[in-house]
Amino acid sequence: ENGFKRPAKLQQMDSPLKQFQEDFEPTPLYMAIITYINYGVITLFGFLRDFLRKHGFEKNHASAEAGDMDGFVSLYASFENFYTRNIYNRLHDVFNRPICSAPGPVIKIMEREFSQSGWSYKFTGKVLDGIVNLGSYNYLGFAENSGVCAEASIKAIQQYGNGVCSSRCEVGNLDIHAELEEKMARYLDVDACVTFGMGFATNSMNIPCLVGKGCLILSDELNHASLVLGCRLSGANVTIFKHNDMKDLELKLRNAIVNGQPRGYRPWRKILIIVEGVYSMEGSIINLPEVLKLKKKYKAYVFLDEAHSIGALGATGRGVTEYFGIHPKEVDVMMGTFTKSFGAAGGYIAGTKSLVEHLRAKSHSACYATSMAPPVCRQILSSLEVISATEEGKRRIQKLASNCKMFRQGLKKLGFIVYGNDDSPVVPALIYSPCKVGAFSREMLSRGFGVVVVGFPATPIVEARVRFCISAALTEKNLQDALDAISSIGDILQIKYKK
Amino acid sequence: FQAPLYHYIVEGLLVVWIIRLLFFKSYKIHDKVPLTTKEKDELIEDWEPEPLVPPLEETRAVSKPYRVVSGQPGKEIVVDGYKCKNFASLNFLGFVENERISKAATECVSKYGVGSCGPRGFYGSFDVHLELEKRIAKFTGTECAIIYSYGFATIASAIPSYSKRGDILYVDEACCFAIQKGVQASRSNVVYFKHNDMEDLESKLRHQEMLDKKDVKKSSVTRKFMVVEGIYMNTGEICDLPRLVDLKYKYKVRLFVEESLSFGVLGQHGRGVTEHYNIPVEKVDMMCGSMEYSLASTGGFCCGREYVIDHQRLTGLGYVFSASLPPLLACAAIEAIDIMEEE
Repeated sequence: ENGFKRPAKLQQMDSPLKQFQEDFEPTPLYMAIITYINYGVITLFGFLRDFLRKHGFEKNHASAEAGDMDGFVSLYASFENFYTRNIYNRLHDVFNRPICSAPGPVIKIMEREFSQSGWSYKFTGKVLDGIVNLGSYNYLGFAENSGVCAEASIKAIQQYGNGVCSSRCEVGNLDIHAELEEKMARYLDVDACVTFGMGFATNSMNIPCLVGKGCLILSDELNHASLVLGCRLSGANVTIFKHNDMKDLELKLRNAIVNGQPRGYRPWRKILIIVEGVYSMEGSIINLPEVLKLKKKYKAYVFLDEAHSIGALGATGRGVTEYFGIHPKEVDVMMGTFTKSFGAAGGYIAGTKSLVEHLRAKSHSACYATSMAPPVCRQILSSLEVISATEEGKRRIQKLASNCKMFRQGLKKLGFIVYGNDDSPVVPALIYSPCKVGAFSREMLSRGFGVVVVGFPATPIVEARVRFCISAALTEKNLQDALDAISSIGDILQIKYKK
Repeated sequence: FQAPLYHYIVEGLLVVWIIRLLFFKSYKIHDKVPLTTKEKDELIEDWEPEPLVPPLEETRAVSKPYRVVSGQPGKEIVVDGYKCKNFASLNFLGFVENERISKAATECVSKYGVGSCGPRGFYGSFDVHLELEKRIAKFTGTECAIIYSYGFATIASAIPSYSKRGDILYVDEACCFAIQKGVQASRSNVVYFKHNDMEDLESKLRHQEMLDKKDVKKSSVTRKFMVVEGIYMNTGEICDLPRLVDLKYKYKVRLFVEESLSFGVLGQHGRGVTEHYNIPVEKVDMMCGSMEYSLASTGGFCCGREYVIDHQRLTGLGYVFSASLPPLLACAAIEAIDIMEEE
């Protein structure tokens, strides 16, 4: 389909197709010191205001317990919300921006007015129109309210209704679910595939089915919260290796097999390496050829979470395996989500027939959680059709690749420190200081661009950043305007650290 | 004084022996000799892992394949080619086949598309989500509500965001799987009481009160929660809410009620088990529900006082780290609540 050719035999590992190149510039020392000073001053003021609020000098705007709850142990430790009260509240207008249009390349944001230093807000009633969206996960531009996919979803609502009201193993398995799984398996070129209603739940409910007590999980430092929760719920031992560091992974693998389980020195039952295709906070791509080399040498299993890379990497969007020229049958468990590139919701796991049948029988989600809603399922089917079998799909994938290149080179030329791999659709630019992070986002909004800024605790404390998500629906003009706006704000805030 | 010569010789030898013992390296018999690289390589080659999953024949021998439903899973359903009356799906109010809801969802797709393409914090909050939260809070009579994109994840994320290591959870023996996962993720101490047996629960609470009196410092920071369901998914019984509220105030234990099945079913207006027993809803600390059964949509919600619910916006894992509910399903839920209020 679509001129796609699989390598006839399994690719030789010694010479991967792509030269692996990533850059992570270390934090300049002066910036680290300034950032710590920033946090120190905010914390001091936080203590001061807490003191004033406690003794009644300043009005306490936080919500309070019910009147009849005397004698109950307090629900939150007083220090737990320190970060929320004093740091997060100052940046309240930067997060949770509500929108009232499709999350496409241009969105409408509802304007909010904040009062009482971030404690409360109300809607002014005005809607900011024409904001260029650099924040949503809309890699191939399927977040559209018209067109082939939207019409197919509408037909599905009329045919099947909105919800299913039953779990998969009872009467929740509709014929379109079976169709979706078959088409997805064919697209990924694996034996079989099983889908679930939520991407987060796919990880947290299926990792316990694969590993249990007496097994070892080797998980990357920067894995997503859903993977971390799944590892914890499984009951297996978890060891963390440094992000994308293959030497560290090899060392830990050797030590694990040689030493066995920590108490009793029995051999491990199985070892599972959990990695992601594209890491959404760093913009890095996993060094998959090396991981598979290690897997073969040490007889471990690999779980690959392609939430951000399916549809976005590779010549025909088949993910990080296609990007490196590796056959997907080499990876034991391929997991992904439909939220990012397909413009829907839900997750899937694909692999051999025995893996998929085992999950269908034993997965917690199959027995206890409801199945995917029919219109969402139909949206995935139609977008899959577009990606894999039409010219339009090819055009979108190429546009995404060229947009990524242009934007990343543009940012680097301006003098920003940009993390990650040159080909990933996620572009994080470092800002370091928490105060500049808020200012950057507000200035971009006033110039008509919606961006996502992230700070502690999602990133390390000194590495607050702005994360741009490139979309195939953005035009060259959008990106050029964005680069101009970023450049002018960068000059004002002095965040062009490379110059 | 004078000593014989042999005395000096023996003492001198003893001193030399002591110096030798002190300064010369001795070997411990039980010390592990570090493995050589060759030995490590041999161990690695010898190690045989279990297969990742059991072989296909074994799985197929114990489980049967899914039944395939064609068409709408409404009152009449076509399963594996047979046309049957549907007594299996939890479509309590019959909203799956409701025309008005389908029309509202269709309009929503024409306005917002299908997916929400982002978590709530990063341009994934739509005005329909905020509207749905307001409507649920108004319908149940609480201050504030929060929406999750999956019913299972609702209670499984809500419990760990309040109850941490060292806190105590009193959970019914026959609670549903989502609660069990939430309890496991929270790492708290769990005390199971016999199914719907208030006497057993009270005796366990009394026992804890006795232990608390002995260690006042520890008990003043240990939070205690009771987690019950409105209608138990495993047995179909209704919980004894008046008695639970009494226990809450007597032993100072917070009460979480999980109303996946009872929302839309119990009570005159469908407000759940609190309306069924005529208890003001403020007495319950947090009420969790699912929109997947009565409202025929997808997702779940938690409602209660703002003091309690707002905390989940930063600490609920399924809320912060997951994409938000697709807008068309939120629109369908709003329309369903409209119908529930009117009729």
